[in-house]
Amino acid sequence: MAKDTYLKKVLGEERFNHIKASKVLMVGAGGIGCELIKNLMLTGFGEIHIVDLDTITLSNLNRQFLFRQKDINKSKAMILVKAVEKFNYFDCKLIPHHGNIMNTELFPISWWSSFDYIYNALDNVEARTYVNSIALFLKKPLMESGTTGFQGQVLPIYPYQSECFDCIPKDTPTTYPVCTIRSTPSKPVHCITWAKEFLFMQLFDEVQILSPEKLAEQRKILESETTDKKEIDNLMNETNELNDLRKLTSSTIEEFMDNLVNKIFVKDIEKLIRIDSLWKYRKQPVPLDYATYNSELSSMVKSTSSDVLHNETKVWSILENLYVLYQASKSLIDRIQSGEKFISFDKDDDDTLNFVVSASNLRSSIFGIDVMSKFDIKQIAGNIIPAIATTNAIISGFSDLQSLNYFKSYELSNQDANTVFVSMKPNRFVARATLASPNPQCASCSLSSRGIMSLSSLDGTLQELIDNIKEFYKYEDISLILGKNKLIYDFDFEDNVDRSLNSLGFKSGETLLVQDDNDELENLELYIIIGEEFKLPELTLRAKKVFKEETDAEDDEPIEEGVVDDIIEVEPPIKKQKV
Amino acid sequence: MGTQLRLRSAKVLIINLGSVGMEIVKNLVLGGINSIDIVDDSVIKEEDYAAQFFLPNDDKFIGELKLPNIIEPIKELNNRVNINIHTDNFNQLLADKDFFKKFDLIIGTELVKQEIIELNELTRTFNIPLYVTGLHGIFGYIITDLIQHVSTVERNTINQAKTIGEELSLNKVVENYQVDKPNNKEILTIKDTYSPISSIFTSDNLPKQLSKRQLRKLSSSLPIILSLLESDRSELTTEEINLKAIQMCSNLGISPDILSKEYLQEFTNQQFTEFVPTSAILGGCLAQDVIQFLSKRESPINNTLILDGLRSEMPIYSL
Repeated sequence: MAKDTYLKKVLGEERFNHIKASKVLMVGAGGIGCELIKNLMLTGFGEIHIVDLDTITLSNLNRQFLFRQKDINKSKAMILVKAVEKFNYFDCKLIPHHGNIMNTELFPISWWSSFDYIYNALDNVEARTYVNSIALFLKKPLMESGTTGFQGQVLPIYPYQSECFDCIPKDTPTTYPVCTIRSTPSKPVHCITWAKEFLFMQLFDEVQILSPEKLAEQRKILESETTDKKEIDNLMNETNELNDLRKLTSSTIEEFMDNLVNKIFVKDIEKLIRIDSLWKYRKQPVPLDYATYNSELSSMVKSTSSDVLHNETKVWSILENLYVLYQASKSLIDRIQSGEKFISFDKDDDDTLNFVVSASNLRSSIFGIDVMSKFDIKQIAGNIIPAIATTNAIISGFSDLQSLNYFKSYELSNQDANTVFVSMKPNRFVARATLASPNPQCASCSLSSRGIMSLSSLDGTLQELIDNIKEFYKYEDISLILGKNKLIYDFDFEDNVDRSLNSLGFKSGETLLVQDDNDELENLELYIIIGEEFKLPELTLRAKKVFKEETDAEDDEPIEEGVVDDIIEVEPPIKKQKV
Repeated sequence: MGTQLRLRSAKVLIINLGSVGMEIVKNLVLGGINSIDIVDDSVIKEEDYAAQFFLPNDDKFIGELKLPNIIEPIKELNNRVNINIHTDNFNQLLADKDFFKKFDLIIGTELVKQEIIELNELTRTFNIPLYVTGLHGIFGYIITDLIQHVSTVERNTINQAKTIGEELSLNKVVENYQVDKPNNKEILTIKDTYSPISSIFTSDNLPKQLSKRQLRKLSSSLPIILSLLESDRSELTTEEINLKAIQMCSNLGISPDILSKEYLQEFTNQQFTEFVPTSAILGGCLAQDVIQFLSKRESPINNTLILDGLRSEMPIYSL
């Protein structure tokens, strides 16, 4: 028998040939990606591109079977392609790309359009949403996949024929009010969030210089949470002072440590205590008595034999936490001083984790909150349900398997693929469901059309573009939003009409959302490219869909049948922000 | 013993290293088991290249013994796991009963019914849990005889309360149930009782666990897969498969009307072929179940799992 005998038997000769001639894209070279690439190659795909922006870390090795110790810090996409050459039995053409999939310069729409199928093997919603939008622009089939712990799912997406990624509402991650985190924590998670999102970020991570507008915006957020002006002023000051502390990362560890501890665990707490209103119904925090630990701490630092750092399941004492904070700060400022411009929190970067664990524990003890072990804090700080290698293996198998029908006919419609969930029960290992139709209220696929707009130059004025769009699609009146939320034109905002497209931020890879101000036609999303000539996509826009809002009958007038006033259209969730 | 420790001290034997065998080995080695012994006397064949990713990418190895040529990439995955290879003939090895005694768990892949039954007699004698698995293209199975097993799972209270003695399926009984109200947790202890594998081919349990509607909608893959185990792995015609499957339906007390032309055709094309996504799914499920079994956490597969790649289903039957 020949090497491909089994493949021809399983897939059928014709489909096998289709697959051999196909060019597919795999986005993500992590847990699922490592498994999926093997499956795709041994299914016989002719050309596979792999994109990932990450480098390999130590914690990847125990579940990403293509990576080894010697590959740490190297590009996942590059190493993956090297590793799989060992079993490239069918001469698959493998092209790695080290970069962010959302980068429109690296990955322009023309590049995307060359693929027959897109496989997502991603770990974040932002990139998934982006790839989904590209699949919608180009009407490309997309296989979405994901796992958490022992659960996982694959979802085949056939744009406009079946549910897209945005059709399904996502749980938004829990957020805490700023005041709880900064002034009045009551749970370990509040202190962990403070240490990770506020203290660590301010001290070590890449921060934007705060413009007066940004500061005003921050104040607004605080004002929406509390009317206590004293508390707001105090919080605004704290941020400024931390900026000063950041400069200390270029001084000695002793100076840094003393200043840090005295500020955040002593002075800041004393200031908080002085705001009486906060403690009317709460227990007051007790500032850290740093002086009493000073001598013990310095002798602990001098004796090199301490193994505190290695005991991850023990709950550390205050002294031990101070010691860990000292050691972590020392490593971090060493790294800054030897050239790292900034350091981001990563649960697998022990220096950053130790800093967050000790700082959050010290804060907890000040506020009378339970102190936790490093192991437990890692779970919370990393917000992680551990990834399980076997779940990734199962999901990668289904990701491949569920895509295969498409290669019989290359038809987007009428695909008998299934969405599959791994969730073990006594009588089944997976659950499956046939693909649902697009959600009629999905802003991404049901309430708008999409297409590619080619501009021959960016020198034209906005007015010219508006006239062209209105004429081409028969809009009466429109508003335009550039990118995520930049309103550049609507009927009472005409300031920009004489400006050039260039000056407004039009560029290749940017998107322009056209909304009908008369609410007759649906939204139109245009992906901008620079081409030979000006060209708008040939689309017949559907009438704008309207939905009846579910109302609390109590306060409203009784609804009479046929009364148009009660119909309220659902706008896509886009924030308008004038420029 | 803690979960990790039980896993780290476990000695596992795997019989035959084809496509699904390689997936299982990869997953267990990554999982950090103590040692894996592999028995396989086959030589590398051209068709092996369709789905066996540890093979050296060089045609000069075709015709050579497989195991010595793939052990290096397996060891590379995790140098803390001991890998031992045995290029003995499995059927001859069956006579050397003591060889099997030292393992904590045995996994047989791509065996025929007679081999499975002989192996199962051995594992029952020595009280060793046994998994067997194999595939036909997009179809596959996992059959388990773990003899008897008690597992305890602690989880957030989501389901309705269980009662002690309650049957979760024909062979899973609730042995203990506690609710930790303040922490919103429940602790569920399940006792699994297994049947010898020889008995599943004539089990009358299916009508007891499925409704009439479920019986009507039963996939052809269950009787076909079980009947293919009875063949000697030489290629069968559609008619031969049909006859064997009809016989299997009657053994299992189910209607032969469930056998569809489509499935008979697919199995005719795909019988005994290897296909990597199927192996990835089976190997993932089996390794996960082994890890859960060794750590006594979730209640394991009991006792016949069918992977139906046409319907994207993985039902588990208690036969």
